[in-house]
Amino acid sequence: MKRRLAITALAGAILVLGSPFPRARANDDFSAVVRAIEQFYHVKHQNLPLLARAAITTTRTAAKIRGGEAKRIAQAGSARVVFFEDQEFDSRGRIATFKASLENTLRDAWSPLVETLAAKEEEQTYIYVREAGQRFNVLVVTIERHEATVVQVTVAPEVLATLLKDPNEMGRAITSDATINDN
Amino acid sequence: MKTLFQTILKVAPLVLLLVAGAALTARAQSARLQMDQLDPLANKATETVDVKLDERMMQTTARFFASSDPGDEEIKALIKGVKGIYVKSFTFEKEGEYSQVEVESILSQLRGSAWNKVIGVTSKKESENVEVYLLNAGDQIGGLVVLSVEPKELTVVNIVGPINLEKLAQLEGQFGLPYFNLPPAKPKTKQNQ
Repeated sequence: MKRRLAITALAGAILVLGSPFPRARANDDFSAVVRAIEQFYHVKHQNLPLLARAAITTTRTAAKIRGGEAKRIAQAGSARVVFFEDQEFDSRGRIATFKASLENTLRDAWSPLVETLAAKEEEQTYIYVREAGQRFNVLVVTIERHEATVVQVTVAPEVLATLLKDPNEMGRAITSDATINDN
Repeated sequence: MKTLFQTILKVAPLVLLLVAGAALTARAQSARLQMDQLDPLANKATETVDVKLDERMMQTTARFFASSDPGDEEIKALIKGVKGIYVKSFTFEKEGEYSQVEVESILSQLRGSAWNKVIGVTSKKESENVEVYLLNAGDQIGGLVVLSVEPKELTVVNIVGPINLEKLAQLEGQFGLPYFNLPPAKPKTKQNQ
């Protein structure tokens, strides 16, 4: 009886507090970012039906960044992509408020790496990083006036080392390769 | 009484270590400027760049720069001991979009402390002003700040850890650092007009 009670309590705690496992928390953070965008801009995301392809292209991205000679390093592991298309992204002069809300959303587990904003054009790129065992998770949020993309990939430390040398370029490359269908 | 004395003797090294550790942390922290107060400028800026590379991120990934690549080896040596690189840069469409209050919020952190201005370049024609400060930490340099003030641009670079102008020049264009084309440091601050 006590055992059943304990299991029920644990299950309840997981339901209420979320999973204790890092993988589940990663998913939560990704979803939390998507929600933050939806709430601030009053937009709705579309799920990308090409998640498997995105994972493959991430490998290609890293290889490209490494000059096409380091495919073995670029075993990305996993990728998540969410699109916002044909919607209005207007921060109404409060782009810094959105930046702060995103930072608050990811404050606990992620380190902000680079944030570039162009208020007039409503263009924003945010790159966040966190450790994931022997590798790193990289979260890239790209927002333009009529579309946005949230991409999360897992990269090898060597790829992250390259990212640090030119973080902006890596953000663009990840997003581009994970979202453009070049078939 | 003897027991108490013995306990104090046992605990004393630990306390000393803690105090020394706290002092070192405080020194490291003082090399890091508070720059978040500038964030609201992003609402008016046509372009904002915010780079935050903390010690853990730098040192973790520094291990993975390819030893086969001479360029990577050079970078690895340059960032050895660096505890953070922080950049905030704002570009505006027209003049007067930021005030002296924002500039002062940075300068006030550099006054009356161990920070020394080693370069000050003022161009009256272009209304540009670039200042470089180094933090003295004993016989070492504990940090560096570059403050670039232009009518339509405000840039602050803060590097925490052992860094000098030569290293800064080599790191320009990498890790989100802009190009400054700074003149070499002179013993006495000189203004070029």
